[in-house]
Amino acid sequence: MASELTLTVNGAKQVVKAEGDTPLIYVLRNELKLTGPRMGCGMAQCGSCAVLVDGEEMRSCVTSVSYAVGKKVTTIEGLPAVWAEQKHLAVEDEAKALHPVQQAWIDEQVPQCGYCQSGMMIAAVDLLSKNPNPSVAQIKDAFTNKGPSPHLCRCGTYAAIIDAVQRAAAAMKA
Amino acid sequence: MRETQLYGDVGTKRITRRGFVKAGGALVVTLALPAERLLATPDGVAAPSAGEAPTTLDATKVASWLEIHSDGTILARSGRTETGTGMSGYYAQAIAEELRVKPEVITLVLGDTDRTPDGGYSAGFLTGMKNVRNVAAYTYQTLLELAAKQLGLPVSSLGVVDGVVSGNGKSVSYGELVKGQELELKIPVKGELPQPDATKWVGTTSLDGIEVTGEPKLRPVKEFQVIGTSYPMPATPDKVSGKTKWSCDVSLPGMLHARMVRPATMGSTLISAGAVDKKKFPTAEVVKKGNLVAVVSPNEWEAVRAAEAVAAGTKWTEWAGLPGTENVTKAIRGYAWGKADQASGKADETREALAKAEKAISASYEQGYTRHAPIGPFVAVADVRADGSTMVWTHSAQSQGLRARIAYMLGVPTDKVVVRWLEHSGQYGRTTFGGDGAEADAVILSQLTGKPVRVQWTLQEDLAWSSVSPAWVSDFKGSVDANGHLSAVHSAFYSPHMTDPRPLGALLAGMPAATSKPGGFADTEWPYDKITRLEEAYGMPNVGVEAVSGGLRGNIMRTPGQRQQCFALEVFLNESSAAAGADPIEYRIAHTSDQRLIDILKATAKAAGWEARKSPRIGARKSGSDTVTGRGVCVIVRSNAYWAGIAEVSLTPATGSLQVTKFTIGCEPGKIINPRQLERCMKSGVVMGLSEALKEEVTFDKSKVTSTNWSRYKILTMGEMPEIQVVTISRDDKGFGGGSEAANAVVPAAVAAALFDATGVWARRIPLNPEYVKELLRA
Repeated sequence: MASELTLTVNGAKQVVKAEGDTPLIYVLRNELKLTGPRMGCGMAQCGSCAVLVDGEEMRSCVTSVSYAVGKKVTTIEGLPAVWAEQKHLAVEDEAKALHPVQQAWIDEQVPQCGYCQSGMMIAAVDLLSKNPNPSVAQIKDAFTNKGPSPHLCRCGTYAAIIDAVQRAAAAMKA
Repeated sequence: MRETQLYGDVGTKRITRRGFVKAGGALVVTLALPAERLLATPDGVAAPSAGEAPTTLDATKVASWLEIHSDGTILARSGRTETGTGMSGYYAQAIAEELRVKPEVITLVLGDTDRTPDGGYSAGFLTGMKNVRNVAAYTYQTLLELAAKQLGLPVSSLGVVDGVVSGNGKSVSYGELVKGQELELKIPVKGELPQPDATKWVGTTSLDGIEVTGEPKLRPVKEFQVIGTSYPMPATPDKVSGKTKWSCDVSLPGMLHARMVRPATMGSTLISAGAVDKKKFPTAEVVKKGNLVAVVSPNEWEAVRAAEAVAAGTKWTEWAGLPGTENVTKAIRGYAWGKADQASGKADETREALAKAEKAISASYEQGYTRHAPIGPFVAVADVRADGSTMVWTHSAQSQGLRARIAYMLGVPTDKVVVRWLEHSGQYGRTTFGGDGAEADAVILSQLTGKPVRVQWTLQEDLAWSSVSPAWVSDFKGSVDANGHLSAVHSAFYSPHMTDPRPLGALLAGMPAATSKPGGFADTEWPYDKITRLEEAYGMPNVGVEAVSGGLRGNIMRTPGQRQQCFALEVFLNESSAAAGADPIEYRIAHTSDQRLIDILKATAKAAGWEARKSPRIGARKSGSDTVTGRGVCVIVRSNAYWAGIAEVSLTPATGSLQVTKFTIGCEPGKIINPRQLERCMKSGVVMGLSEALKEEVTFDKSKVTSTNWSRYKILTMGEMPEIQVVTISRDDKGFGGGSEAANAVVPAAVAAALFDATGVWARRIPLNPEYVKELLRA
């Protein structure tokens, strides 16, 4: 039976009515209208649905909403606030600034169709939180061998992603 | 055919003054549509009703294409869509160039059938760009005339920078010029929006839609300010911040979520549909028509679970009409081919040369089925209203083709259907003809339920039921002269139907689905003018065509036909080069007098550090646990663009493990429109080509496709991507060429040649996965 669950999503408390086993992605997209995470494989094989749960990348297509109760969920829509908090930015500056990973994705012109890129940016934020200065080999390793599956891009933007992760790393150190 | 009066005839231009300010600002052109229709959001709020206003724009009116607002912003409309390779940027650049404005002031409306005039398919960006460029050029001349009148100066004395016309110390901006005015400017067009036509190879009357004709004065290439610069892709910031509304995000009041319950096999028919357990799934319902079965619910998760439960209780007939993956190329070879559907080149000369040849070389090449396999499976929303008018939200690559097919399926006039386009996962060719997709499912379910319906395919469903790039076989024979050069080549290409865009939903529901003429598909642009050639292409029906679902519905995929035929031709060139003991690049140059090809080949070779020698390399070997290395080359000419690819590989013969360690790709597409986006597309094209060369194959048993998830249909991962080096040449004297497609096509033959260079063994089939490479090396 559906019950009322309290979630913290992108810094805000949200009360949703859902069955506890509902995959988080349906709650984020359909109840909270956060469409950053996108449905790809539905079985943790591609990464397009990735979100941060307490700062760690998770695949929202196989993570139940009940698991997320009491934890902090972040989608790409919430990344600017994550950065603002990290850098203690004033509210008016926060409104203007994207997360350096998002800015790097624009500056390096990463997206082609862009469908997988929300998950790619989440994976980049996760990686940079653990390794602020990753080499090309470490970036390839993180996007291929970490987590339940590689992050897949069918348009083939991997080279652009590597450029963007390195650009973001430099920007975050500045 | 619609021909109208040429621009320049004073009688076709009327400038009137009306109260445009209250209709949303002054504009140079206007549409006969109420403002709320133009403002209808993709989210479905204030969704218009097809039938309450014209659903087709008049392409002869510039007003249908372009609005210049009093604040200097510009709205432009094209029936083409963005598929991720950069059309939206290139179109804005072309319009900005002709109008002499910054591209940033331009907003594009793409692919909405009621808000764009021309139709056309997205991959044809050159034709699409020509349309908007011509429209902008016609408009520019009119703006100059308006300014001349206002400033009291001759047109010849005026110049325009960033939308400000000036001359003799006086100036006026476009915004000021158009304030409170409507310009009725008519332009010449030809062609028509598509209608289903089974006698045509794409199944519709028109692939390019309406073309803007005439010869407006275009800005000379030497004066370009915007084309040739790396204008950033306009859609990127919103995609990155999460603001983009994707087609999967469309949500309508009262909308039902649907999940499809597909047949047990490709040819099964429905015996009985399972029932919904109302205690578990109180708001879910089963909906069916013919063999089309779905579960709908206002709650998406309930629809998912209820569909799984209903699928388990649904009974289907047995069917086993596929040959099985391991037999597919054998099955194609066994088909009774008859005459070629298509032939090009010099038949008599080629046959005579081959008959007389003292020395001949021949080889056969093949590949199994591959597929487009986007990360986001098909999704669509449809709303079929009581009056028969139908709205469809799509990510199809050809909205007007889809509109015509949906109308055909429903048996209603095309004007009853409106298709709105939104961004989504790349399509890579599968929706170019407007057919394949979830739209037919959504329309049928909306018609049956009387509510708006959103259909989301699952990945398993998409990898099993969407259309596929067909398997093929190709036979090559060449006559060799005393120098080892090829003097004549005969190639034959055999493939199942490659342009079957019938929507699965219509097929399963037993509704009209516009067919297309099956046939061979040969589209090679022959790179070697010194070789006399005869190319023949043969087509057969789909494999498993007798299935209710149409079997493995063949469809085009990125660089279609040319990609497969390039692999065969270029491996053949490498084989004959090796037989002649020649360097494969020098060998190619000896067979062409096309300087553009020679230039890009030499530039790419130089960047790759290529040193001339014969292949295989000294020390090549096909056994052992130590690695061996090799290198190989491939070229393609396509759509006024010249490409070269050089692969470097490292291989462990004992395991068959083949690593591509570096790939150098070169492209000369005439005038480069956007250098950075071209570089991005070249690198990503290499990734796609490597994926096909090393990993991809659709597998199936006798009944159904079995490669239905990412561990069974394998695509390249980031970890498998080599260093990729890019070489480009831009030319001002050869027009524009296609710079997005074809990058994938130069990869497989270069990799196969590198494998030969390392081992002395030819691979005449892809993918070169470890099992196949091991088998090749053992033979």
